Amino acid sequence: MMKKFINKPEAFVDEMLQGILAAHPEQLKHAAGDLRCIVRADAPVQGKVGLATGGGSGHLPLFLGYVGAGMLDGCSVGGVFQSPSAEQMLEVTKAIDSGAGVLYIYGNYGGDIMNFDMAAEMADMEDIRVESYVAGEDVASAPAGEEHKRRGVAGIFYVYKCAGAKADQGADLDEVKRIAAKAGANVRTMGVALSPVIVPEVGKPSFTIGDGEMEIGMGIHGEPGIRRGKLLTADEVVDEMMGKILPDLPYQNGDEVSVLMNGLGSTPKEELYVAYRKVAEILADRGVSVFKTYLGEFATSLEMTGFSISVLKLDDELKALLRAAAVTPFFEQAQF
Amino acid sequence: MDAAAAKRVLHTIREAMDSNRDHLIEIDSAIGDGDLGLTMTKAFAAADDGLADTDETDVGKLFSQAGMAMAKAAPSTMGTLMATGFMRGGKAVRGKAVLAPADIAAFFRAFTDGIMERGKTKPGEKTIVDVLDPVAEALAAADTTELSSLAALASRAGEQGLEAARGMMAQHGKAAIYREQTIGKPDPGATAGLLVVQGFAAVLEQL
Repeated sequence: MMKKFINKPEAFVDEMLQGILAAHPEQLKHAAGDLRCIVRADAPVQGKVGLATGGGSGHLPLFLGYVGAGMLDGCSVGGVFQSPSAEQMLEVTKAIDSGAGVLYIYGNYGGDIMNFDMAAEMADMEDIRVESYVAGEDVASAPAGEEHKRRGVAGIFYVYKCAGAKADQGADLDEVKRIAAKAGANVRTMGVALSPVIVPEVGKPSFTIGDGEMEIGMGIHGEPGIRRGKLLTADEVVDEMMGKILPDLPYQNGDEVSVLMNGLGSTPKEELYVAYRKVAEILADRGVSVFKTYLGEFATSLEMTGFSISVLKLDDELKALLRAAAVTPFFEQAQF
Repeated sequence: MDAAAAKRVLHTIREAMDSNRDHLIEIDSAIGDGDLGLTMTKAFAAADDGLADTDETDVGKLFSQAGMAMAKAAPSTMGTLMATGFMRGGKAVRGKAVLAPADIAAFFRAFTDGIMERGKTKPGEKTIVDVLDPVAEALAAADTTELSSLAALASRAGEQGLEAARGMMAQHGKAAIYREQTIGKPDPGATAGLLVVQGFAAVLEQL
């Protein structure tokens, strides 16, 4: 049975957006008279490369939650788990371009790719220069050697953060894209889920997981993972996930990393910290030092129970960008 | 083919989509999600209406604008692909006030390549490309510059392509779920593609 705090299921996304705009009017506005085109309240920021993202609803803080100072300039918002339209992407592009061009950063999903490519072509006809970076770092979604097939999940946070900081420094479009690609190439993610999600307009669970079962490697729309099995302890689950993440890049003795412990919607922070304890232990054993840990909800899947671990390998350049201040409705950080 | 003729092409295709709306819905319901008739009528109505009042004389720009209008009006997969075709085709002949036979061939080549690139598809996969690619090839290889002969050539290549697509197995979109069951059934996208080709042919014949 569906038990949610909603009104009409078909109004879910627009009412969510109305709430977000009502809560953060000093930070966000909508463009082109369309609620689904969310941009910074002060867009376009003069002289700065514009950063745009977009994707389906149901993943807050992804995607629009990172629109704000130090991160993104705009976001097109689709229905639950659905791509926004190319036109909405184009309207966001027009609203955030100050003449320095626009970088699209979005996850590796078919519908999003087609529409963002289309939007880029339409922007070109309006003489706005657009470049794209497609994020995909879920090691469970395709093996090494087929990285281009990997789904984009929570690790895109790092791409937003580093590229956003670079754009803030006044870097040009090519340079901001280089940083986005660098952050994306150095991050790996893996997730685990204990329960399914209910899309409001569908009204029933998108799949089933038996009592006492878990799915390792599940995607943020419930895409199948690597294996389904009996629920293991937190330590055992983290062991298995880190066993896939660490050799993939690989992360080695002497490396410095940032870790993103991400709840998928219904997992308490207490459990995330229990799991992080083991992540830290494994990294210390391997001689990998943690420069900065983020823990909370960064990329969710409605009410899914589960979490993901993302690891970003750092160098001095990425460290400096990670340190920069950012202020968005869903993520705030002082310079450190 | 000048700007006035290009507008007539879009208007002719619009009428063809309108009169084939229910047929497209029916064949799309058999192997897809059934909305193609709605998508195509919406897309070409927007293109036709959008160009009605423009005094643009650049035929390439006209077709590109038609594509933009389609993309906005019909943001589904097939709408986006059709829009891409017109935008790319238009871009290939930008700056021309009159399309010569070679330009029409270039238009169809770019139209087809654009759809293949955006849809990540190639001939033989039971899509609109199976109609468009033979048309583009036939136009490129034509040994005539007479417009009515080119029109007949294009129509024939498109019809043969549609028939060939019927025997193929779908690999894309919702139709791919049905796999073998799609063999022997008409492809909805290819059917819409032939209406586009026939719209061009009908106008070329009268020039």
